[in-house]
This record gives sequence, structure tokens and C-alpha cells, in this order.
Amino acid sequence: MLRTFCIGLILSLSLSGCAFNSVFVNYPSQIAPFKQQLNSETPAANITDLANNISGNDGLLYAQESGRIMQVAGDFTRSKTYYQQAIDAYQRFDDKAIVSASKLGAGASSLLLNDNAIPYRGPGYERIMLHQYQALNYLFSGDIQGALVEVRRSNELQSLEQARYQQSQKSVQDMANGVIDDQVERLGKEAGNVTSSFLNAYSYYTTGLLHELANEPNDAFIDYRKAAQITPDNVFLQQDLVRLAKQLSMPQYDEFKRRWGEATLPTAGQGQVIFIIEKGFVPEKQSITVPFPINGNIQSASLATYLPQHPLANNNQIQGLDAPLTAQAIANIDALAINALKEDLPAALFRQAARVYAKYQMNRSVQNSDQRANNQVDAAAMVMQIFNVITEQADRRSWLTLPRQAQIARQFIDAGSYNIHLNNSKNVKIDVTANRTTLIWAIETGNRTRFYSIII
Amino acid sequence: MKNLKLILILAAVMGLSACQSKVEYGDATEVETVNENFGSTDLQAIAAKMVDSMMAFPPVVVMTQSNRPIVFVDKIKNKTSEHIDTESVTDSISNKLLRSGKFRFIDMTKVDTVRKQLDYQNNAGMVDPSTAIKFGRQIGAQYMLYGNLSSIVKQDGSTKDVYYKMTMRLMDLETGLIEWSDEKEIRKMKSKSFLGL
Repeated sequence: MLRTFCIGLILSLSLSGCAFNSVFVNYPSQIAPFKQQLNSETPAANITDLANNISGNDGLLYAQESGRIMQVAGDFTRSKTYYQQAIDAYQRFDDKAIVSASKLGAGASSLLLNDNAIPYRGPGYERIMLHQYQALNYLFSGDIQGALVEVRRSNELQSLEQARYQQSQKSVQDMANGVIDDQVERLGKEAGNVTSSFLNAYSYYTTGLLHELANEPNDAFIDYRKAAQITPDNVFLQQDLVRLAKQLSMPQYDEFKRRWGEATLPTAGQGQVIFIIEKGFVPEKQSITVPFPINGNIQSASLATYLPQHPLANNNQIQGLDAPLTAQAIANIDALAINALKEDLPAALFRQAARVYAKYQMNRSVQNSDQRANNQVDAAAMVMQIFNVITEQADRRSWLTLPRQAQIARQFIDAGSYNIHLNNSKNVKIDVTANRTTLIWAIETGNRTRFYSIII
Repeated sequence: MKNLKLILILAAVMGLSACQSKVEYGDATEVETVNENFGSTDLQAIAAKMVDSMMAFPPVVVMTQSNRPIVFVDKIKNKTSEHIDTESVTDSISNKLLRSGKFRFIDMTKVDTVRKQLDYQNNAGMVDPSTAIKFGRQIGAQYMLYGNLSSIVKQDGSTKDVYYKMTMRLMDLETGLIEWSDEKEIRKMKSKSFLGL
């Protein structure tokens, strides 16, 4: 029995590759030093340590993290290559056969070790955000056509990922019809409002924004409507819808005007300034481990969970323009992450039960009842139990350098130079040109805010 | 029994050592089906169809009967969801047209380089004025060649269907009329295998 177990373990390990990253060291502690580095002057100092893991089992996840860190650091070119590696990794997952030997091997390894042995393939919203960030990379490198390619790819994936998640049927159906629901508007505003983990208003807003910047108002209108179905209270989004409905002579113009007021259009000599503000980091998963004995053998079960989150400080004022501008939240990424975990829970519980059974069988197989009868120490059984308990780690992997909340602000202001600052960040000089748009991307990580701006 | 095991091990070792990755030359015009993205076969098919269509179109035949029209190529707008180098498509098309002898081309991507060179020849004081090329002597284009490449991607579980449509147009710069237009459609389908590694 032990021999069969060993052969089985070696076979499944060889089929799924041996470069396990998080099987014994939990993932959040691996990423913590890199998140800490983001608060310093040199945010990408230790990036090669992180990027070396891209060739391993969880290469997709490390590529996403590396790309995001380089993006926050402002090196959009290198961020593009890392994100491209993550995109290729997703493509490889897509191309795997329906019954794939390596997937089965990984599943078998996870029965004997823990869920971290299964290669990481993130929830749908991570894949969409990957393409959204890649589009911003292209935009800030000056290639708006490339940005639009990524936007189109992200739209294709929305429908694909939409098919993967069957929960919250009604919101999904409404969104597909472009209906902005009065009922949805009346509901309360907490994490529970987001009923599915891929309904990400931030992604829809960014793709709509890129369409609008590339002079495709019709496509922008469609994306803004989808964003408004998820976050109907955002005044800037409401303004965008009214303005575009008027510009395109859409039949919904009267209804939007009635609900949200008349469109404000720029006067001569005015330019547009758009702020995208990202705050904080998504929460890390925590683990709950419960040890219990079965027939005298110690087993343990370990599951991932999220602790209750303290609400984000509500300060989001941009000072330095003609009048202070208050940004409004468009999406709470932490709500998406919590929902993704909730949706994954049935499968995780099933795997946990199977794993407890497999490890119990292993324990039994090495038990030596003679030694126990003589009150001697059963060394093999003890080693096996220790192995089983130590390898029982929860799957705490997720894209940790994503922001916790995204906010937007837009305004038409007179052309000129302004010195703005966000809450208590440093002053940053921005230029506004008549009839053109200045896009400012503010990324707030801990105690430091970085601003990237481009005039389109 | 022991001999059998030895033979099997020997066979396995020989088989593995023969399985090295190798590099070889292939035929450039061969059909390539590595994946469902835009590939070399698509590029060649598009260039071939566009050129044949333009050369055989009656008004264009009339246009090119007595003289060679001067064309410049504006870019092809990439409206697909893949990063495709559309300049290589226009390069293939303009190359084929030029080599047919019926058209003459102007390269708008080199204007700044030429301007720098002529500025150097005329104003830097290092080139013999009698051999320097003067400004303002180039020939103007009469026609513009441009196009759109769009795609429709449908995906459902194990099948993916990608449909490309390339549209090209030839516009007369003086009258603003479109003298020729054609489109090429390509469909690529991919189905996932049931069993695999």
C-alpha cells in the first residue's frame, strides 16, 4: 500500500511538474516583501526574484503580480511583457484538452498534498482586469490602437467568462439587455450588492473610456451602460451616459435626462480632465485550520476565507483645480474577490473531503497495530500524521497587488497648467489642452501615491 | 525476463535520446495551422486576392493602360482583437502591385528621413550644390490605398470560430471617388481535443 502510494505520488508529481511554489510556503507571505517595496522610492528593486517564478507551476499568478508591480513603478514596457506572459498562460489553459493528463495529475497531487498543487487559474474578473491593465499599458506607451485591441479582447472574454459563472442570472440578463434597473438602484450599497464575481464595473468603465478616447462613442455608450447597471450611483458615469446619449441621439436620452439632469458640454477653450484613482490592495485570504482525530489518527482540514474588512477611509478629494473635485467609487475589487471565493467554496469543500479521506487511508496503511498493542511508539504512523497535518495548507493564492477600490472623476475645465494633489499626496503638475483630454491615473499604495498622466 | 527488461530500458533510452528538438526549413507558401490566430497563410491569401482583384478590375485596367498611376498606401486599420502587424500586409500588397509594372508608389513613412537628408544636402554646407537634390521636386500621389481588417470571434466551450474580413479601397485624391474596392474573407475554426496532455 505504501509502495503504491509512493509510485502514485511520483507519477502525479511528474505529470504536473515539480516547480510547486505555494505548497509549503503560503502565498501572501511570499508577496508581502514586494508589496512593502511598493511603498519605497524603488518599487521594482527586487522584481527579478518575483519574475523568476514565472516559469513555475503558478507562473500565471507571478506574471500578473510582476506586471502590476512594474506598472505601478511606471515601467509600462516591461509591464507589457510580463502581462503578455500571463495572457499566454491563460491561453495555454484554454488550449488544454477537455480531459487533460496534466490536470488529472495536478488533481491527484492535490489529494495527497493540498490545493496549492493545482496550477493557479484565477477567477474571471482577474483575467478581464489583466486585459484592462494591458490596454492602459498600451495607452500610456502611446499606442492607442494597441489599447483598443486589448479592449476588444477583454470584451470577447467578458462573454466567455460570463458563460462560466451561472450565478445571479437576473443581473446578468439585465446587463446583456443594457437595462438600468430602478430596483437595483434602491438596494443598499455593500459588498453583498455585487452578486457575481465577474460583474466588474471598473473594467467596463475603462473599456468604455478607451473607446471614447479613440473616438468610438457608440461602443463607449454600450460599455458605460453595462457599468451603470452594476454601479448606478456614480454621478460621473451618469453624466457620461447623458452626454453620449445626447451626442448619439439615442432613444434613451429623454429617460436619462429625466433621471440625471441635462448633459454638460465643454465650452470653447476647455479641455477634459479624467481621473482614475486606485486605492489600497485587495485583502489577502486567511486560512482556518481545524485538526480532528479519526480512529486515533490526527487529521486536519484547512480552508481559505476572508476576514471582515474595515471600510475604506472616505477621503477622495482632488485639490488644485478651479474647485475641489470629489472622486466617486466605481468598483470595489475586494467585493469581487470575496464573491469569487464564495463561488469556489463548493468545489473546495469537495476537494477537502476527498483529501481527508485519501490522507486517512495513508495513515491507516502505515499503521502498525502490533506496535500499538504493545504501547510502543509507532514511528511510521507518527511521521505520516505529521506529514499530513503539515501539508494541509489552505489555498491562499490570488492576485494580491490589485487595488481594493477604484474611483473616477471627470470634469471640463479651462485649458492651462494646474498643480493638483490628492488627499495628502505630493503636488503634481498637469496640463490641460483645449479640446483634448488629459487622463490622470493615480495609484495609491499604502503611504505613497503615484500619478501617471497622458494627453490624448 | 531480465533480458526483456534490459531490452525495454535500452529501447526507452534510445527513443528518448532521439527525441531532441530540431530546427528545419519549411516552405514559405505552405499552409500553416499552428493556432487560430492571424498567420502567414492568411497574409499571403489576402495579398494575392487584393492584387489579382485590383489588376483585373475594368476601370483600373483603363486607368493603367496609357500611364502608371502614382499611389500612396495609408495604413490598414486593425479592428480585430489580436495585435496584427498590418503594415506587413500593405507591404506585400504594394510590393506585388509595383512589380506588376502598372503602378508607381510613394512611401509616406520615409518623408521625415528624406526631409532630413535633403536638409543636410542643401543646408549643411558639406555637399556639392551641383550634386545636391533640391527641395520641391518630388511627384505628388494621385491615389490612396487604405483598408480595414476586422474579425468576429465566436467561442463556445470546445469550439472557437474566427472570421476575418479584410476590406481595401483605392481612392482618387482629386475627385475623392473610390475607384476600386474589394474584400477578402477568411474563416478559421479550432476545436479542442477531448484527451490530451
